[in-house]
Amino acid sequence: MEILKIVITSLYVSLTATFIASFFALVFGMFFLTKQFKLKDLFIKLFDSFTAMPPVLMGLLVFLLLSKNGPLGKYNLLFTPFAMILAQTLLVFPIIFTLMVKQIDKNALRIQKTCYMLGGRYKDFLTLILKECKNEIMTAVTSGFSRAISEVGAVMMVGGNIKGYTRVMTTFIALETSKGNFKGAVLVGVILLCISFIVNAILYNLKGREPNEYLY
Amino acid sequence: MNIYIEGLLKRYEKTVLNIEKLNIESGKVTAILGLNGSGKTTLLECIANIKNKDEGKIYYDGIEDFERVKNKIAIMQQRPYILNMSALDNIVLGLKYEGLDEKSINKRIEKYKEYYNLDFLHKNAKKLSGGETAKVALLRVAVLERPLLLLDEPTANMDIESTLMTEKLIKDINKKNKTTIVIVTHDLFQAQRLADLVIFMDKGKVIEYSLKDEFFSNPKNDLVKKILRRSDKND
Ligand SMILES: Nc1ncnc2c1ncn2[C@@H]1O[C@H](COP(=O)(O)OP(=O)(O)O)[C@@H](O)[C@H]1O
Ligand SMILES: [Mg+2]
Repeated sequence: MEILKIVITSLYVSLTATFIASFFALVFGMFFLTKQFKLKDLFIKLFDSFTAMPPVLMGLLVFLLLSKNGPLGKYNLLFTPFAMILAQTLLVFPIIFTLMVKQIDKNALRIQKTCYMLGGRYKDFLTLILKECKNEIMTAVTSGFSRAISEVGAVMMVGGNIKGYTRVMTTFIALETSKGNFKGAVLVGVILLCISFIVNAILYNLKGREPNEYLY
Repeated sequence: MNIYIEGLLKRYEKTVLNIEKLNIESGKVTAILGLNGSGKTTLLECIANIKNKDEGKIYYDGIEDFERVKNKIAIMQQRPYILNMSALDNIVLGLKYEGLDEKSINKRIEKYKEYYNLDFLHKNAKKLSGGETAKVALLRVAVLERPLLLLDEPTANMDIESTLMTEKLIKDINKKNKTTIVIVTHDLFQAQRLADLVIFMDKGKVIEYSLKDEFFSNPKNDLVKKILRRSDKND
């Protein structure tokens, strides 16, 4: 039963974080794609470098933010699922955002020109680009989720690995391994692997086969 | 629609387009010939406002403001962006944007079905062959029936039969709707069959511009003379 609770907490935290990060990545990304401005490349490079942010560092930042003396200390949010979601959202946002923008940016301008030439408006362009780049967007979201569900540094620091509350699969594995309980660790490890596998299988099915692009 | 161009300049690393004055006549078919890289695509895309010009003016029926005429101009690009949906959906997209209802859309499409064998209409347009893709790209702008139609090498990937039917389509559009058509082509015979007027471009400049018969029988520019003579010899 403890394991079920752990799996649910894991999914809840990582799915929520991925969802929030994806939402902002999409809104922010759309703005980026449709506007041409000087610092655009610089911005993308900046976010790109954040994708390599070590989870423990993100954990530390959020810890400082939420700890007693931090700016948000009075809300008592440290060692709650909220803290974990916050840390993971910040962790995966740059990943989802840069993957999305880099992939979509290749075609955005051509899609925009085609759409406008055919008489479409801005909202038509947004609908079109979401449809056209469905696969790229889903790939970016999945990469974000994979990163969130498998990271241990950030959730350990800001969640505290509290049994029945903030304990997730990765922190469970780390703890059980250190206690010498390899059986439990391996079991949860297998579950973690299965979840990644299922998520990828669903994605693969939704995507369908890639169309040929041998000419255009 | 009449197009009048004045002092048009487009630069990348070098100047790729430099046209002092050019008038494209309303209701006519004008063919643009020229070697690779002579600026034909750039000219067409500047007219369609897909590329921004660096200098100069383009008047559409005397109007300089592109925004006011944009829904009177359609362009088929040399490398068209085909959307990831069925061929048919690609073709009707513009009509949907124009707010036509389903009945009018079907009626409109029906007119264009006689020209090609359209077995591929329900296939995903990204999975089509080069020639089929070209037909989708051409049809999706032709069905809009706008006063100015710009075509950048529309038949480059088509078989002989489709090429001839495309030429028939272009002629019909020009006759029935008085559409002004500008077509870029490398096929001298196609220009001969289709065009009222012929433009020859070289290094971003218009070096020959005349009525079709005049162009083929009595060209003034040396390069054009040489090219026409060479193609005669190869017959
Ligand atoms: N985006 C671009 N950046 C740099 N050079 C370009 C670009 N687009 C076109 N050119 C150059 O402009 C010249 C004219 O190109 P284009 O108009 O496509 O020629 P074509 O007559 O074959 O259609 C070519 O030398 C081409 O390399
Ligand atoms: Mg070209």
